[in-house]
Amino acid sequence: MPEFLDYFQFVLAPQMLNGLSLGVAVILMALGLTIIFGLLDVINMAHGEFYAIGAFLALSVGALGFDFWVMLAVVPLMMVPIGWLTEQVLIQRVFHSRERHILTLLLTFGFGMVLEDVLKLVYGPNTQKPPTPIGGGTEILGIFLPNYRLFLIVFGAALILAVWLVVFRSRLGAMVRAAAWDKDMASSLGVPVRLVYSGTFAFGVALAGLSGVLLAPIYSVFPTMGRDFILMAFTVVIVGGMGSIQGAVVAGVLLTQVQAISSLYISPVWSDPLVFGIMVMVLMVRPQGLFGKLGNA
Amino acid sequence: MLNVTNLHAHYGLSHVLQGVDLVGNAGEVVSLFGRNGVGKTTIVKTIAGWVKPTAGTVRFAETEIGGQPADRICRLGLGIVPEDRRIFPGLSVQENLELGLLQSPGRSRAEQRAALDRVFESFPRLRERRHQMGTTLSGGEQQMLAMARVMVGKPRILLIDEPTEGLAPMIVDEIFQIITALRDQGLLILLVEQNVHRALEVTNRFYAIERGRVVFSGSAANANDRSRLMEIIAV
Repeated sequence: MPEFLDYFQFVLAPQMLNGLSLGVAVILMALGLTIIFGLLDVINMAHGEFYAIGAFLALSVGALGFDFWVMLAVVPLMMVPIGWLTEQVLIQRVFHSRERHILTLLLTFGFGMVLEDVLKLVYGPNTQKPPTPIGGGTEILGIFLPNYRLFLIVFGAALILAVWLVVFRSRLGAMVRAAAWDKDMASSLGVPVRLVYSGTFAFGVALAGLSGVLLAPIYSVFPTMGRDFILMAFTVVIVGGMGSIQGAVVAGVLLTQVQAISSLYISPVWSDPLVFGIMVMVLMVRPQGLFGKLGNA
Repeated sequence: MLNVTNLHAHYGLSHVLQGVDLVGNAGEVVSLFGRNGVGKTTIVKTIAGWVKPTAGTVRFAETEIGGQPADRICRLGLGIVPEDRRIFPGLSVQENLELGLLQSPGRSRAEQRAALDRVFESFPRLRERRHQMGTTLSGGEQQMLAMARVMVGKPRILLIDEPTEGLAPMIVDEIFQIITALRDQGLLILLVEQNVHRALEVTNRFYAIERGRVVFSGSAANANDRSRLMEIIAV
């Protein structure tokens, strides 16, 4: 028994907490994806690049001499007009086409590649590592955890809760949910559906940028950084249910824990196939995912 | 108050409305009668801004609203109680009603609360169930919610499409009472209703629709007009 306690304290628990800190960032990313899908029915393939832009903007803000807390506040605000413009200029053009799903998928995929190259041109192809904003570590119940990861868990969880409150407990959220379910009826009650679309897309993009800021100190910053991460976020959204907020949270925690714990026993190379295998299994057994769509709560 | 002239609309290649003309004044119930699929609901949807007209005009008072976005049309004071009620799932009764407040922006919190209180007085069942999800209500209650939801705005024109479909007779009575009361408050009601006999009891004037056109219009009080209507729609 004491052996297990030692194992838990020094191996398992730190690994689970590390997984959790990655989990909240993945959830933030997946929330943006799933809200955009739930409302606009658009699969945003450029989401990973918006995440990368967030991380690079954080580098730029840092290079100007501002500290991490300024980045945390300013970068999401800078992402809002980027998301807004993307929706207005790219998505709206094909939104009313009958081929909307395919067109928006290809369009955002292509736009993501353009963005990736723009990042290469502006910042160069090399990996950069911002300094860790909060150093040191804390011992909680005998479990040692780096302070920054601890901050990530608490801040991320608070943010997820805030998003949930806005979507499910505010009038603005009711407008978004109503528009997601029935845009004609919502429109006839006075919901400015076009504005809600652009605003929601911008909000999702800002969340992706924010995940970029939060994860930059842990994973380094490079132009293709969005690629691996977007796969994880998509997996979370698919397992949780396209368009579901609860689903993104539950699947985000679940899958990052599977990844973290399994990599203790099998080669980390195999933990990704394991996670994607779970996705395939969910798609086979319950193709709609664990939870329902946004409008349906 | 409502003036529709030569209205045309298409769904893809099919020419659904082929030149509809109709007029409605404040304080009257104007009914659209006709068999299934002749375009009654399309007329309602086109006036509400859900379907873009391909030709013709829709005037609300002095404003041209044909082809305008639905949210702008509703803010002018045109409300819709659509076929199948279209209650938002995942939204509580209260949230469904609060959305309706957006139809007339610029009111203070107190005025908004007063508007909600007024509909809760008219529909006490909705007050009891305001924290329930809208779609867990019975069919009749959902119809009441759909009506209450537009009434919290300040509509001057109400488009009501098939309000009694599938509802118990007692609730049907209640719905016609509400329609009469709204008309007496000076609203224009444009009504689509399968139950022609019941509808004629509250109707002032009617239009008979066939294949996307008005083929006859008359007054509900006139026995000759009524029998002509029955011939056309053959009920």
